[in-house]
Amino acid sequence: MTAAGNMSALSDFVAGGDLKDRVFRDMVEALPVAIYTTDAEGRLTWFNNAAVRLSGRVPQLGTDRWCIAWKIFLPDGAPLPHDRCSMAAALRGEEIPNGIEFIGERPDGTRFWFSPCPAVVRDSEDRIVGGINLLVDITDRKKAGTEAAEQFRAIVETTPECVKIIARDGTLLFMNQPGLTMVGAKRPEDVIGANIYKLIAPEHRARFETMNERVCRGEKAAFEFDIIGLQGIRRQMETHAAPLHQTGGVTVQLALTRDVTQRKRAERAAQLLGAIVDSSDDAIVSKNLDGIITTWNAAAERLFGYTADEAVGQSVTMLIPEDRPDEEPRILARLRRGERVDHFETIRRRKDGTLVDVSLTISPVKDASGTVVGASKIGRDISERKRAERAIQALNQQLTVDLAAMTRMQQLSTRMMQAGDFPELLRETLSSAIAIADADMGNIQLLEDGVLRIAAHQGLDKQFLDFFQTVRPGEAVSGTVLDRYSRVIVEDIASSPIFAGKPSLGLMLGAGIRAVHSTPLVSRGGQVLGVLSMHYRVPHRPAERDLRLLDILARQTADLIERKRAETALLASEARFRQLADTMPQMVWAAQPDGFIDYYNERWYDFTGCDRYLFGDQSWEQTLDPEDLPRVRRAYYDAIESGEPYNIEYRLWDRREQRMRWFVGRALPVRDTRGRVVKWFGTCTDIDEQKRVEEDLRRANQDLEQFAFSASHDLQEPLRSIKIYSELLTTRYGDQLDGDARKFIGYVCGGATRMETLVRDLLAYTQTTKPDGSIELTAAGEALEYARTALAGVITESEARITADRLPTLPVHPTHLQQLFQNLVGNAVKYRTLGRVPEIHVTAEPLKGHWMFSVSDNGIGIDPAYKETIFGLFKRLHTNDEYSGTGIGLAICQRIVERYHGRIWVESEPGRGSTFRFTLPG
Amino acid sequence: VEDNEADAFLIEEAIKMANLPVFLHVARNGEQATQFFDRADRSQDAPCPAVVILDINLPRKPGFEVLRHLRASKRCHDAHVIVVSTSNSPAERGQMADLGANDYFQKPSEFHNFMKLGDLVRSALDGHK
Repeated sequence: MTAAGNMSALSDFVAGGDLKDRVFRDMVEALPVAIYTTDAEGRLTWFNNAAVRLSGRVPQLGTDRWCIAWKIFLPDGAPLPHDRCSMAAALRGEEIPNGIEFIGERPDGTRFWFSPCPAVVRDSEDRIVGGINLLVDITDRKKAGTEAAEQFRAIVETTPECVKIIARDGTLLFMNQPGLTMVGAKRPEDVIGANIYKLIAPEHRARFETMNERVCRGEKAAFEFDIIGLQGIRRQMETHAAPLHQTGGVTVQLALTRDVTQRKRAERAAQLLGAIVDSSDDAIVSKNLDGIITTWNAAAERLFGYTADEAVGQSVTMLIPEDRPDEEPRILARLRRGERVDHFETIRRRKDGTLVDVSLTISPVKDASGTVVGASKIGRDISERKRAERAIQALNQQLTVDLAAMTRMQQLSTRMMQAGDFPELLRETLSSAIAIADADMGNIQLLEDGVLRIAAHQGLDKQFLDFFQTVRPGEAVSGTVLDRYSRVIVEDIASSPIFAGKPSLGLMLGAGIRAVHSTPLVSRGGQVLGVLSMHYRVPHRPAERDLRLLDILARQTADLIERKRAETALLASEARFRQLADTMPQMVWAAQPDGFIDYYNERWYDFTGCDRYLFGDQSWEQTLDPEDLPRVRRAYYDAIESGEPYNIEYRLWDRREQRMRWFVGRALPVRDTRGRVVKWFGTCTDIDEQKRVEEDLRRANQDLEQFAFSASHDLQEPLRSIKIYSELLTTRYGDQLDGDARKFIGYVCGGATRMETLVRDLLAYTQTTKPDGSIELTAAGEALEYARTALAGVITESEARITADRLPTLPVHPTHLQQLFQNLVGNAVKYRTLGRVPEIHVTAEPLKGHWMFSVSDNGIGIDPAYKETIFGLFKRLHTNDEYSGTGIGLAICQRIVERYHGRIWVESEPGRGSTFRFTLPG
Repeated sequence: VEDNEADAFLIEEAIKMANLPVFLHVARNGEQATQFFDRADRSQDAPCPAVVILDINLPRKPGFEVLRHLRASKRCHDAHVIVVSTSNSPAERGQMADLGANDYFQKPSEFHNFMKLGDLVRSALDGHK
């Protein structure tokens, strides 16, 4: 019989009557189950004995409502008001689930567990008219459960792990002490009854909630999550959760949770270490103290070629080359002493047998008690580094060698710059070259008169030297250099076409030579001066670097040779020069580029009487006229400064004549091929005589002009008086004079007139040399016209025809041009052929930079014998009776033309006419 | 002022022939000329020249000094000066003109030409009045 079936029967029973049936009543009374009935309002209407036993009191009919228990508690201990009990609920028409449990308290304080089974009684109209309730005493069963719970509690309290119960909504129902410690709670109240979710790390919270719900639905679960404790400390948890069905059908989560923070940390560290070890570029190997490999990472596999499977369990000695047998025992001995081996560089053998440079760091591995149980070994491949080191070392060695070569060359070039024994310098050069080129023997040949001659040699035997005493172009290696104008390298004489089938082959081999290379010694001007040859005892291919160094050396040597030759040439030319200079009548000196006079010829000492050891740029100053000194000094140093030659006149003291003599000093720089002044040569030429003549001439000219000028003035005055008074005598006293007297007076007058013309012409002659200031441009046509006007009288008289071409304008003083035309045209008219109309033609033709004028006539002409004479002063070909004249006209013309650096001459055919030509600047 | 007697005569002839109403004083050298001017300065009664005919080449004192003296004189400084000379040197002409000469007469070699000096003196007198 089910409870429900019971209830239904009871209901029927209650509804069917007033329980008057004693038998039934007694039976019901005797039931061990507490039963009572209520009216619709829950007022107690009936109860049995069992109800009195259970409740520990006598329920009050009509007063007690809904339940007979003194006090009611929910299973969790919370008090439950009577109107909230299941009977009350049932009377309100609510469904009451089966199996719910409550705790009742008796007036004596004892408690009992019961499970109510309320049912309502309805009338025929289905109205609730009352209720009936059975209270099953489950205290015993509960007691048994409590024992289990006690046992559970005991387990829970002693376990070091967290045990907790969580309601479906996350409320923490229970947590043991270790759990409280884990979450950082000081008292249970701090967390129990509160929601546990807030303790879960935010990133795990959602998952935790899901898990909780699933467990509360009946699943089991195991999961990990982090909590953040009340003290804010994050811990990692691992939990195993199971559903826990509670009375009343509620399922909660029972979880056993372990703090795995430490373990996780250790795991992570281990993982990290593993990752490091695995990903390390260094080989990491551990071994035990017997030398057996225990771990082997990927880098170790890469470095040594063995896989971990192949290596683990093997002895590390498999990596150690045979020539290092005691290395491992020594390492192990150190490890046993707990020592660490740092950066030990050694060699290990790979699986494929090749050797590899490694750097090892070996650390002892100790157990918890500090005992060395093995070693970890970190190996690094240092082959690259070793290779680099070896390369650097090689480079250093090379640099040292190069530096030595350079130093040697530097020293050599310094030596070369100094004056020195030329053959000795060549020997030093050769020795340097042999050292630089790493040769066994060598020689330097110089090209003289088209053949190479050995000038320096080292390590070559007499036979070789004799054979190659002179080498012609095309012969042997050095001769081939001349032909090719470049270096020739013979790596092996035996296979070289240069020597094939030649006697020189045997000779070379006989001299112990197997290889040779020859470098031309080329001057800066591109001329081959000689050849530098290097010889080797074994076939040899010269290094590029050696050849470059030899190039430098060759250039220096060429410079040396060139300089030597220049010096020799200079010495020779200087000697020749001195020889020549000493025999010269001029004074000659030579100076260094800075003006320091280092040579005077014999004539200098002879003339000046100077000390023979007196040299330098001031050595001539005492000899010089003090008046000329500043000027000469300036000219001298200007020339030194500018490198330009000079030409200057000055006076030097003539000790023989005890007077200053005039000299012209000239200096010329001598330059080398690069245009630098290397020497000055100067001369002092005696121009005293010339100077004096010039001076005399100048003075004479001056005197003459002065004389002519004053004479013409002073002569004119008395002439004028003679003329005027002769005239006055004739006009006033003519009738008192006889014929002779008048004739005589006529002679006086005529003589005075001629004298006057002469004086005037003489004046014109002297005036042509007078400077005029600036020269203006004069139109020759106008000057001719002027002359024509001046000559109007004679022209009209002679009926002369004067024609002219178009005449130019030129920079000549107008008076001069007028005088020229007046004289020449006047002469042409004057010296006309009787009975022939004079025809005079004037032309001008341009020549380079000047004009040539021609005045042609058809007159009597001039005997060529006199064509020079006629230009002389007072020179006349005719008597005054034939042709009047002073003999000054052509002299004036010549003087004028010469003043303009022109020339005047005559071309004539006697009887046919003359052409006077003159040139003037254009 | 003329040292050459022949020329002095010709100058006199020229003035005479020109029929000029003048007194002619002849100084035979430069010193006489300057003394003549100084006298005029000292005494109102002494004659003061209206026209001075001045040769350049003079003994004792050259023509240019006489001219300078004249131009510095109190009473005679504005006399009309005719320079007479044998030479036709432009330099000489320029120098005298700079010192204040009014006319320049080159002594000609012909009598009738020489007489033209009279015309020059006449126009000088006309200008001076």
